[in-house]
Amino acid sequence: MAHAVSNNAPMTAEELKAEALRIDNYKFAMWLYLASEVVLFSLFIGAYAVMRLNSPEVVKSVHDSLNIWLVTANTFLLLTSSWAMVMGLRQIQRGNVQGLINWFWLVAIMGVIFMIGQYVEYHELALLGITLGFNNDQWQSFGAHFYTPTFFHGLHVFVGVIWCLLVIRNAQRGGYTIRRHVGVEIFGLYWHFVDVVWIILFTLIYLV
Amino acid sequence: MASISVPLGGVGATTAPRPKLSEYLRWSVDHKIIGVQYIATSLFFFIIGGALAMLIRAELLTPAQDFMVDGAAYNTLFTMHGTIMIFLWIVPVLAGFGNYFVPLMLGAKDMAFPWLNAFAFWLIPPAGLLMLLGWFIGPAEAGWTSYPPLSTHFSPDGQTLWAISLHLLGVASILGGINFIVTIRNMRPEGMKYFQMPLFIWAVLAQSVIVVLATPFLAGALTLLILDRVAGTAFFTPSQGGDVLLWQNIFWFYSHPAVYIMVLPAFGMISEILSVHARKPVFGYRMIALSSMAIALVGFTVWAHHMFTSLQPELRIPFMITSMIIAVPTGIKVFSWLGTIYGGRIRWTSAMLFAMGFISMFVIGGITGVMVASVPVDIHLHDTYFVVSHFHFVLYGGTVFGVYGALYHWWPKITGRMMDENLGKIHFALTYLSFLGTFFPQHLVGMQGMPRRVAEYAPEFQAMNIIISISGFVLGVSTFLILYNMVWSLYRGKIAGSNPWRALTLEWMTTSPPPPYNFVGDPIPFEDPYGYGTEASREYLKAMDERFVAPMLNPALRKRPDAQLPAPNPSAGD
Repeated sequence: MAHAVSNNAPMTAEELKAEALRIDNYKFAMWLYLASEVVLFSLFIGAYAVMRLNSPEVVKSVHDSLNIWLVTANTFLLLTSSWAMVMGLRQIQRGNVQGLINWFWLVAIMGVIFMIGQYVEYHELALLGITLGFNNDQWQSFGAHFYTPTFFHGLHVFVGVIWCLLVIRNAQRGGYTIRRHVGVEIFGLYWHFVDVVWIILFTLIYLV
Repeated sequence: MASISVPLGGVGATTAPRPKLSEYLRWSVDHKIIGVQYIATSLFFFIIGGALAMLIRAELLTPAQDFMVDGAAYNTLFTMHGTIMIFLWIVPVLAGFGNYFVPLMLGAKDMAFPWLNAFAFWLIPPAGLLMLLGWFIGPAEAGWTSYPPLSTHFSPDGQTLWAISLHLLGVASILGGINFIVTIRNMRPEGMKYFQMPLFIWAVLAQSVIVVLATPFLAGALTLLILDRVAGTAFFTPSQGGDVLLWQNIFWFYSHPAVYIMVLPAFGMISEILSVHARKPVFGYRMIALSSMAIALVGFTVWAHHMFTSLQPELRIPFMITSMIIAVPTGIKVFSWLGTIYGGRIRWTSAMLFAMGFISMFVIGGITGVMVASVPVDIHLHDTYFVVSHFHFVLYGGTVFGVYGALYHWWPKITGRMMDENLGKIHFALTYLSFLGTFFPQHLVGMQGMPRRVAEYAPEFQAMNIIISISGFVLGVSTFLILYNMVWSLYRGKIAGSNPWRALTLEWMTTSPPPPYNFVGDPIPFEDPYGYGTEASREYLKAMDERFVAPMLNPALRKRPDAQLPAPNPSAGD
């Protein structure tokens, strides 16, 4: 096991091998974790899709009364945050720790704004009477099928923001170098995943 | 070599450091301690689940409801029995063996993520506690399958605790599964390709793939169930836009692959035990390895055979076909095991007896499995004792026999001491006969129409049920023989030495119990993990003893994992 490799000291072949193994362990584990997340989200998405097929008129009336601009701006924000995350990763790949920190602050802030946007949207929907429970006249079970996947996604954004702040703190303490930054990379995988899930949810729930 | 009850020698047959209890009661990232923690915790829940089974059998001694206060109390019994046995005994005990032996068999120092490993284990005791706490607020009573509306509108608050508890256990499983896959992929020693891995590792790999891809479905299903129970949603209530079949589909989409989670590692254990104790190479190694993966894949396509009576009729035939297809890889395994022991120099050890008991019981369970996979038969047998009998044959006669065999086989490695072989054989005989007496007659009452999950039954079934209950009580008592044997061996058991069975897999190439860092240096795997009976394998064992095990008996070296090894012996390894 290689410990505390400094930025400049050349690595021995042993250390390089151990480090490559460590990176591969973390990345592969993250991919497996994301595979299990895909399964979990596909369940919620499937439940929504069945509801969508069974009661198209309910979804249409929700679309008619929904403010699509807010959620579109939110989507744009989340996609942009993924770009900011990649820029931060590029900085650490060049050895620029401060650059990583700056870009990742942007990621965290955009994540927080996304959650605020989601709160505002929930608030509007609640005022319309769309709740988790069954609504006889108009919304039927749309609320349950809508809030569950979107809230679950919001929860992932929340976890991502906390994780992003931890990455920033770790970077400030000198935890990442040009050679050792697998922690940044696996956060990146997670953040991209949260982004991709949102693209699917946005398309399925708001556009079709 | 008709029968052996003494260790076959090998290096280190004189000393065995006694494990300290305090090491096992606290947080530790050592995979061996975690493995024992898993096994001990699950044995505790095995006893609780077994006690519940005894109560069930006591109630069923007479056709009338005489022992339970009401039907709901009986529902609670079988619900908690099933849930505890599956999620708090079988799944964690297999995870325990996996944790202990996967890194050792790979010649590794630990799992890929030791901290994650410990974290996954420590989710289990609180989850088990939550499950048991249900008794104070009205426990779950909807069966382990927890179908709505029983689990949504007709269950007390304990059902919510039940769901939260399973959620925690599911997270523990997923984290463990990820850890196993990464460990197996990345930490194999040099010279061990995929098709040179011990078959137990193949089985754990296949199981872990299922865990990672199927368990999230359970997590999602439980999330929806909890929302329905506490947040006012109606995912499973048709009158409010929900769908009861949604639960059945997602539950079985998890739970059918989950039965392979519960049996695949036992397949792996059996492959190890049969080959070592028959002193013969595994017959059809590649086929056994690949059939594990085939079972893992096909297992995802058969879930609706649990729903032949509730699903659209036109979907029955496709699921009947996939369900029967899965008998093919399973059959390949059974024939390979028979081929393995055929013509071998069999040592009739307790481990071997249980492994062979496994094959016989699993074949019966497998055949009844094909029977209930057939739509016309299933519609007759659905929800009868035939089904109860079927899954006890595969889960008890299968997995639990496998775990017993594994305990007899690997206990010397875990503790450094042998269990008593005579007591082990008595345990086997009692378990085997009382198991048959308990579960075989259930086929018959089931075919005659006795429904499961009901405290009362028609009087004509009573004679058979008395036989079942009395055998069941014997089966319950026989469990304490192995528990006694395990404790006894810690104090009185013969010292095992590094390799009492003269096995070729890497977990035996270190002292028993292994030191915290497992191996001095990197052990060299033999080219064929089951190449018994060859001159090369005998030389390999001798060389490994000299090069890797003997130096570790030196107390100074035991404490220093980075100590220098003696110069390599040119005859070691391949």
